[in-house]
Amino acid sequence: MSEVKGAYNVCIIGGGITGTALAYSLCNLGETSVAVFEKSYLSSGSTGRCGGGIRQQWSTKNNVRLAMRSVELFEHFKEDVGTDIEYYQGGYLMLSYDEEEAKQFEKNVEIQREEGLDVEILTPKQVSERYPYINTEDLVLATFCQKDGHANPHKAVIGYAQAARRMGARIYTHTEVLGIDVQNGKVVGVDTNQGYFKCDAVVNASGPWSKQVSQLVGVDLPTESYRHQIFVTEPLENFFPMMAISFAGNFYMRQAQHGQFIMGQGDKDEKPGINYNVTFKFEKELTVKMVKLFPFLRNLRIMRHWSGMYNMSPDAQPIIGQSNIVNNYFYAVGYSGHGFMVAPAVTEALAELIVLGKTTHTDISYLNVDRFANAEVEKEKNVV
Amino acid sequence: MVDNQAGGKRHVDAIVIGAGPAGLCGAIAIAESIGDGTKVLVVDEGIEPGGQLPKQTHKFFGHEGFYASVRGFEIGKRLVDKARELGINFLMQTTLAGIYEDSIVAYDRNSNSVSEYTADYILIATGASERFLLFKNNTLPGVYGAGAVQTLMNQYKVMPGKSFLIIGAGNIGLIVAYQLLQAGAKVKAIVEATSKIGGYMVHANKIMRLGIPILLNHTIISALGEDRVEGAIIAQVDGKFKPIPGTEKEIAVDTICLAVGLQPSVELVAQTGAEIKYISELGGYVPVRDENMKTTVNNVYVAGDLSGIEEASTAMIEGYIAGYNIAQKITGKDMSEKITNMKNELVEFRKGPFAAKVREGLKKMGISFPGGGYREEIQQMPSSLSRLKAVIECPQAIPCNPCETSCPTGAINTGGNINGVPQVDYEKCTGCGICVTKCPGLAIFLVQQREEHSIVGIPYEFLPVPEKGSSVKLLDKNGKYVADGQIDRVMINRKEKTHIAFLKVPKGMEGVVRHFEMSTVSEESQAYICRCEEVSRNDVEKLIDSGITDYEEIRRVLRIGMGPCGGKTCRSVVLQIISEKTGVPISESRLGAFRPPVIPLPIDAIVRYAKGVGTDE
Repeated sequence: MSEVKGAYNVCIIGGGITGTALAYSLCNLGETSVAVFEKSYLSSGSTGRCGGGIRQQWSTKNNVRLAMRSVELFEHFKEDVGTDIEYYQGGYLMLSYDEEEAKQFEKNVEIQREEGLDVEILTPKQVSERYPYINTEDLVLATFCQKDGHANPHKAVIGYAQAARRMGARIYTHTEVLGIDVQNGKVVGVDTNQGYFKCDAVVNASGPWSKQVSQLVGVDLPTESYRHQIFVTEPLENFFPMMAISFAGNFYMRQAQHGQFIMGQGDKDEKPGINYNVTFKFEKELTVKMVKLFPFLRNLRIMRHWSGMYNMSPDAQPIIGQSNIVNNYFYAVGYSGHGFMVAPAVTEALAELIVLGKTTHTDISYLNVDRFANAEVEKEKNVV
Repeated sequence: MVDNQAGGKRHVDAIVIGAGPAGLCGAIAIAESIGDGTKVLVVDEGIEPGGQLPKQTHKFFGHEGFYASVRGFEIGKRLVDKARELGINFLMQTTLAGIYEDSIVAYDRNSNSVSEYTADYILIATGASERFLLFKNNTLPGVYGAGAVQTLMNQYKVMPGKSFLIIGAGNIGLIVAYQLLQAGAKVKAIVEATSKIGGYMVHANKIMRLGIPILLNHTIISALGEDRVEGAIIAQVDGKFKPIPGTEKEIAVDTICLAVGLQPSVELVAQTGAEIKYISELGGYVPVRDENMKTTVNNVYVAGDLSGIEEASTAMIEGYIAGYNIAQKITGKDMSEKITNMKNELVEFRKGPFAAKVREGLKKMGISFPGGGYREEIQQMPSSLSRLKAVIECPQAIPCNPCETSCPTGAINTGGNINGVPQVDYEKCTGCGICVTKCPGLAIFLVQQREEHSIVGIPYEFLPVPEKGSSVKLLDKNGKYVADGQIDRVMINRKEKTHIAFLKVPKGMEGVVRHFEMSTVSEESQAYICRCEEVSRNDVEKLIDSGITDYEEIRRVLRIGMGPCGGKTCRSVVLQIISEKTGVPISESRLGAFRPPVIPLPIDAIVRYAKGVGTDE
């Protein structure tokens, strides 16, 4: 054990959106004895590499509710947290190129509408009238929710971090957690490359490294990390307000506030494991596909190309909760590619769980890891 | 007035050539002693008497008997007033054209007329001329001697340039640099061919804490520019002062100021038939003279830089010695007491290490001066200063003691010898700050450790005077930013113009902070660092100040380096700023990610290629 450098009520591992938003949410509840340990720089993991979309069009009631609460919090981000994160409710246009998927979309919209979400179903003709720059060939239908949108993930992390710092939380960047000290079934401290910190609770918000960090506590989590690549073009004047996404078509694309187009796709051939390299194959595949659907892209140039990790759970839904093996160990992992958009609601609920022992705004019990003990898991279908 | 003689020659008891400190003091000594100033004539080329004094805006070293702590131009004024009171005549803008066998000929440039004089005694105090330096294009307009820069700037109020390179880190180079900075010019660097700063460390410290680099073992190779100076090439030199190939560097400046030493102006004294000898320690060719300043010609005396390059206090003393000796001969009265007093002063002034060369040189003339006998031990700043106290950072034995003589409680002493390194008796020091405003080297600071922060009082001679409460950037003794601070208060010194700015500094930094910079948004800070995304230095600095200190974090918030150039130009600049502001060396900072493509890659080109190689659509 290295030198004791401090003691905090809550130690959070990971300086991405979950770690920083949780620090902020804890401070909001009066718990300011909080430390965040980030082994690199803030937003260096999945958050800083993600597409920045924020949507509520999910296929299960619980996920719709969680997302709707998150949007409520994003809508007040500027006043509450104090930072402009380029949040823009330009909508999510979900494009379906598959008859079967289209039927599923219609069912999803029913669930979404039951939860009070305003969602439109658009025919290819309607899409083409509204968005003449989209090629609607082969399109079966689209759904659109105006209240969906996007934001700048880096700015969100920095905003949460600075707000948490102002309220008393400490954020240790370039501080890697090497061990978690568990005694008599309880976490008592965290050992880092900058020293040892005593704590009363520890939260695993380590994204791509969730499984390895959990192993430091001796708790297995059924997560695996998969590489996803993404690139960004040079900027154009803003004309493309929404996130365009397709599961069957395997892509998503949005125009950021600065004007650049950010886009990505999944790759079924990816093997689990952390890999931050990028492939030219990805650029070839995605440009060919996207130029056909969005012909204006042909005149743009690619500025930067990078990759990030989806920390996948078996049902493509987050794993959030309190361990029943080591009971002051909490986790908020396995987001399966949509951690940024639900982080405000998830961390609000998790902070309540830590401070009050129960959630008051959003029920997240369905995201507990224990769900995988059941034989059947309900898989979230709306994932790229 | 002077006696008119047959043939238009006018006769005086004594003619003094040169109205600098040596000549003025010599003339005063003679006039006082003979009781008639009208029998003394002072001839000088300048517009106003005083020699170099009217150009000197800094406070002089020494002791109060010779105007220590008084600014040079003020000393000149006082001496001239005194001389005029005594009735001494001045011939200004007049060049003494020659000392002939039969007469002394003066040429009045103003009236374009000559006049002839005879005198019983001649005191020559023609001072020195500046050494020149050979380098390519040294004739370009914009290459100046330090004296010319001072004349233009301080006497005629004309700035010869905007940004300067100064060659030579002796006292003159250091002083000119400081004066230029006070006048609002930029000084890019001082280069010095030898391996050490020749001037007083306290002068060098005044420059360094403003962030001006003093490049030792460097020289100028060439001035750059077509019609006037646009820059300079400097290079490192080896032990034999030869430039080392491959070390050349370009500096963009519009003025090059040479301060590479002085040589005695012996032309007139040589014409009297006095023996001239080459003594390098005294600056080159000098007149041979005795300890009474008499040359090998019986009625010809010398004083000041002409008799050996030194400084103003000793020039004044030499002037008095020569003057009293001349007066003794004119009047036949015994002036030995006054002469001995002045000689003893000279002994005191020449005991220190900076006078070693002069002692060596004079020995070659058979005149010996003792060295040593002063304190060199440097007092450490006390670790605890709960009340405001003086902290003296005067590390060299230099002949100067206004700190000691100005202290109202007798808390400062130089150890019984004016050359001694001063020490503070912290029991007696009340922190009144008088020594701070008196110290010619601006080497005294006031320090107090308070509960939440510390206070550092800094001698301040710049405009505008900072306002109480304003935010400042705290600089260390090398002018490096160390932290942000605030002006606690300012003690205005209307008479002597050395104000004291009291800074609030973080605890533990009271021994570090030695200057400050106003935190205003300068033009430079508004300049774009990242031209692609139009991010200014100020944007970056503000973010770092808010606690975001990682290149990747800064990049992601400001989009710096996210433009078409991909950070090729701005990355290193940002890393430099991070290093400056956090104190972490650039070599240890995190470089951030390098992402493909290195140039924007047209999607069309990729698509055409991909289709050509048969990627599925």
